[in-house]
Amino acid sequence: MLTEISAIAPQDTGEDTAVQIDGVSKSFSGTVALEPIRLKVRRGEFLTLLGPSGCGKTTLLNLIAGFLEADEGELFIDHDLVTQVPPHQRKIGIVFQNYALFPHMSVAQNVAYGLRTRRVPKAETAERVREALALVKLEDFADRRPRQLSGGQQQRVALARALVIRPRVLLLDEPFSALDRNLRSAMQVELREIQSRLGLTTVFVTHDQSEALSMSDRIAVMSRGRIRQIGTPSQIYDRPENHFVSTFVGDANLFAATLLEKTDATASLDIGTTRLSLATFQEELPEPGPVTLFVRPEQCSLTDPDQPGAIAATVALSVYQGSYAELHLDCSVAENGRVMLRVPASEAMEPGTDVGIALPERGPAIYTTTERET
Amino acid sequence: MSKRPFLGWFASPSILIAFGIAASFLAIVQFSLRAHIPGALDPGGFTLDNFTTLWKTVYGKAFVTTVLLCWWTALFTLLIGYPLAYAMVRAKSARLRSAILLISLTPLFLGEIVRTYSWMIVLGNRGFLNATLMQLGVIDRPLDLMFTMTGVVIALVHFTLPIVVVMLAAALSHIDRNLERAATSLGAGRIRCFLTVTLPLSIPGIVTATSTAFAWTFSAFATPQMIGGGKVQTISTLVYQVGFASFNFPLAASLSLVGLLFTIAVLALFNTGIHRLERIGAH
Amino acid sequence: MRKSVLDHLLDWSGRIVLISILGFVLLPFVVVAIASLNDGAILSFPPKSWSLRWYANAFEYRDFGAGLVNSLRIAAVGATIALIAGAGFAYVFNRYDFMFKGLLNTVLMSPLIIPNFTIGLGLLILSTAASLPRSIWLVIAVHVVIVLPFVVRSVYVSLKNFERRYEQAAESLGGTPLHVLLTITLPLLLPGLISGALFAAILSFNEFTASLYVVNQRTQTLPVAMYNYVREYADPTLAALSVIYVAPVAAMLLLVHKFFRLEKVLNVD
Ligand SMILES: Nc1ncnc2c1ncn2[C@@H]1O[C@H](COP(=O)(O)OP(=O)(O)OP(=O)(O)O)[C@@H](O)[C@H]1O
Ligand SMILES: [Mg+2]
Repeated sequence: MLTEISAIAPQDTGEDTAVQIDGVSKSFSGTVALEPIRLKVRRGEFLTLLGPSGCGKTTLLNLIAGFLEADEGELFIDHDLVTQVPPHQRKIGIVFQNYALFPHMSVAQNVAYGLRTRRVPKAETAERVREALALVKLEDFADRRPRQLSGGQQQRVALARALVIRPRVLLLDEPFSALDRNLRSAMQVELREIQSRLGLTTVFVTHDQSEALSMSDRIAVMSRGRIRQIGTPSQIYDRPENHFVSTFVGDANLFAATLLEKTDATASLDIGTTRLSLATFQEELPEPGPVTLFVRPEQCSLTDPDQPGAIAATVALSVYQGSYAELHLDCSVAENGRVMLRVPASEAMEPGTDVGIALPERGPAIYTTTERET
Repeated sequence: MSKRPFLGWFASPSILIAFGIAASFLAIVQFSLRAHIPGALDPGGFTLDNFTTLWKTVYGKAFVTTVLLCWWTALFTLLIGYPLAYAMVRAKSARLRSAILLISLTPLFLGEIVRTYSWMIVLGNRGFLNATLMQLGVIDRPLDLMFTMTGVVIALVHFTLPIVVVMLAAALSHIDRNLERAATSLGAGRIRCFLTVTLPLSIPGIVTATSTAFAWTFSAFATPQMIGGGKVQTISTLVYQVGFASFNFPLAASLSLVGLLFTIAVLALFNTGIHRLERIGAH
Repeated sequence: MRKSVLDHLLDWSGRIVLISILGFVLLPFVVVAIASLNDGAILSFPPKSWSLRWYANAFEYRDFGAGLVNSLRIAAVGATIALIAGAGFAYVFNRYDFMFKGLLNTVLMSPLIIPNFTIGLGLLILSTAASLPRSIWLVIAVHVVIVLPFVVRSVYVSLKNFERRYEQAAESLGGTPLHVLLTITLPLLLPGLISGALFAAILSFNEFTASLYVVNQRTQTLPVAMYNYVREYADPTLAALSVIYVAPVAAMLLLVHKFFRLEKVLNVD
């Protein structure tokens, strides 16, 4: 569950841009939903917009699809300026969370809709509908009504309907959030397979970080109407650029620290009474002063409390998780008083045990404390 | 691109109708300020006489009668409509619920004339009710039901019942059943549970229903006209009489206008009542 | 769980109250049905002899036939106009902001508060002032004004529950606004449109008070013809007609109920 980073390695997609968003912003009656956004989606890439509820993911998707009009900025699809182009001329495929299959049409009619609007000849329409349904393995369901299908099947019809028009970009807004866990992972694999087979430029919206990490070529992490970081899943997970990204993606332990001195390679800081010297991946460190030190649970290890450089803590709770146990430690220098790390289930400890936390010499990140936000 | 497709096409028919409504309202206002020339259909010059005429006893009495009718009708309709709505919302089978709803709605859909005529046959001196009661020996002289307030109220209750039931049922069906279950689990009996939970929560619905019953009764015409038979004069019957018996349309217009203002004032009163109730409910 | 004596008492008194109220609602219609079979020209209970002659009389009486034709025409045309205007207004009211939107809404909904006799009087004065003839179109205009709010409400409720995603999906698939309107929006709104139109037709068919102000001998509706009959004759013809009248209205109502479930339409589910 932790770092199951996609087996499909980020492909070399070249630098050809399929969607270019140039300073597009959106407010709803005074409240800003989206600050000016700059974003390039490469051709054939699977880009995920990840962020908490209300951060503006759907708004951004609706702007790309043309359902909303940008307050400012320009939008290009395949290098065509489309800012003023209505949705029906954008040639975009879209899949919604609740599928939005037309209830008064059969599966085949649903899939054929986008071809009928383009006046594709009958014979060709039939052929392409068949192909699209075959692609999502639903050939035998052509004559059913949407309500006679299961959630996963409806989802696949929605996908076929969006794909059959050979869209320039495929947009998906939390398409799997209504599905149960097993079906969701099956659909994730299926979507990713189809997408890479067709080389389809895809913008995918989710607030599920493990879904984002496992599926994407690149992830854009959003909060409060801004993109906070764009990068490959491993860049996002291993090298979060700011406090928000570090806590939103994956589990994080945060320590209140004081940065004493920084050089090119290392930083020396005080955490409580412990003095440490660390190497981080960051290109730029904050100014000396109060900072937040960020460490992933798997980067921490347990040692003797008396070990030099160890941070003192007490086991508060041990949560059994099957193959491992989560140890929740009371720690006075942690920002929220707690530190979490994972140990093999056999090494779980009784509450009350005093332990030491050893931090790695390479890997942690240092952020300015003021940058915290939800 | 057009950001509001069809706006013009879709709005224009209704705008046309709105102009018609506004114009007819202005026509009434205008006529209410014109002098009546006996024998002529066209009105005379501008005057305030119509409104001073309204101070005469006939019109004052009609106002009082109308308000009394509204009050009694609203009261009895509530008393009858509440149990009906309650039974409907709480009916265990969908069949029973549909049956109660359909029966409650019949008066609404059978129209004023059929309904009022039927009541005339029931209430008349030799009508069903008096004939039955006399044959049973309960009374030996027919009850005076036709041409009386009592008769008119009975028929008006029947008239307003459907809309009141629908409004009360809507309010009752939106009360969370778990609140009643909670009250019962805390030891409240059925009667106490009803009096302390269900009834207070349905008060906004009761107020809305009452105001609607009031407005409907106020505008009722066929019932007071046919069952009242000229003995029970309301504003609606008087407007018709002034208009079509003495062709004094300016006076009819001013009477309508005052009636309308009165209705709006009463409904506004109810409205503030509802808002106040909602504000209390919010705490 | 055992019920106490009080519970049984409550259950039974509840049933009795319910049945007596339903009896009160249905009583006049039962009585009128009995009266329609009374052989004599003067009503008496119970009827001394029975016959169907008042039914024959109801069918033969000219004004009723003419009134029925008028009423059906007025209801059909009026409901259609109200449907077009009302659905259009509900659509723009639901979707767009525009100048005087609130004012337009207030004016169109005002017939819910304005008594029907005032509406009838107003349009009568207006048409006289504009020297328009008292044609059937005047009656239709009055009916449109009166039933319009009900159509608007019915369609507006459907629109509010309408999933905009359907339209967006259709648009993304290349549908122009008109195409989307015709292939997605209208078909999906059809139940709301039909029930709105049916309600409008029933209300229009029953409308009496406002019609009384604007009809003449030629354009009188069935309810007005019936009213005029009661004023002149006391025989049970009208009782027979009432029974006949019940049939089509009940059929329409059952139809609405069968397709749309009244509980849903009236929001009491
Ligand atoms: N039509 C609208 N009118 C007013 N405010 C809106 C509208 N649509 C979105 N917003 C606001 O804009 C912000 C961003 O909304 P958006 O739907 O894009 O969030 P989201 O990231 O998709 O969230 P979620 O994960 O819950 O779907 C929210 O604060 C929302 O309240
Ligand atoms: Mg969203």
